[in-house]
Amino acid sequence: MTDELHLIDAAKAGSAKAFADLVKSYQVRLLRFLLTRCASHADAEDALQDTFIAAFRYLHSYDPRWRFSTWLYRIAIRNAHKIRQENVVEIGDLSDEEDDPLLHCIAASETENLWVSARRVLNDDVFAATWLRYAEDMSINDISKALDRSDSWTKVNLLRARKALDAEMNRENNGKEAYG
Amino acid sequence: MDKLAEQLRDDAARIDARISDEFDRRVAASLEAVNHEVPNAHRIRQRPAAFWWASSLTGVAAALVLISLINSRPQVEDMPVVSPITSPVSVATIPSIDWKAESAMLTRPLQRELEDLQADLKKAEEKVKNEIGL
Repeated sequence: MTDELHLIDAAKAGSAKAFADLVKSYQVRLLRFLLTRCASHADAEDALQDTFIAAFRYLHSYDPRWRFSTWLYRIAIRNAHKIRQENVVEIGDLSDEEDDPLLHCIAASETENLWVSARRVLNDDVFAATWLRYAEDMSINDISKALDRSDSWTKVNLLRARKALDAEMNRENNGKEAYG
Repeated sequence: MDKLAEQLRDDAARIDARISDEFDRRVAASLEAVNHEVPNAHRIRQRPAAFWWASSLTGVAAALVLISLINSRPQVEDMPVVSPITSPVSVATIPSIDWKAESAMLTRPLQRELEDLQADLKKAEEKVKNEIGL
């Protein structure tokens, strides 16, 4: 049994300390994802807090056949969606770059962060699938579970996302060469 | 790993997601509050020991009632005896049926067996007659 399962069992038994350890191991990864999904840093933090609270409250219903990260991501995706609906702010509506939490949190670089391009060219679910695949290294099956989609939907849309992002990457590289 | 996957992974890692102390405190406080709720929620689902005793006793009582009901029904020896049919059925009353059908394939081996037995019987009868000089 892994340490994570030990922690989950202890947290199920009511140990807040064990759950706090789980929170520590996932909070940065989840916050990164939520920063790409929410309209502000504060919203991303709220969504993250709601995710951990919901996870702790419903931990007794967690099925160990799922990866814990898959289960957490599923809750996080739902919470991000809920917070965005409450605020009625679309990610694409963020005209002021200073407000965009993703742009705010990206280290200065010569090239545009590909996740900014991904957010521009992919829809919500496809973006999330792409994130889970490439940032979290999740299997197709886990991604499908996290997004409540079929495996074939996940495969087809990851392929489409790859094509779109390849085109974006090439466009950016070509633009840079032409400029240089 | 291909170039696109590598860049996506690197770019994800470049997103600076620092967790503030204030956020840590907020989450800890929220979890502490939930921790007080969760055991209560679990307790609601748990049945008191008296519940299990009561349900067991109810089950035993139901079983006893069922057993007594079954035992109170008339036994086999108590039931009225139906007199068997003693008068033989007249053969004449059975209508003869004119079967216009060929014997099924399955009866053929039996028919042949009967014919063989009859032939054997005839042979044995003749042999006995010869031996005794009839």
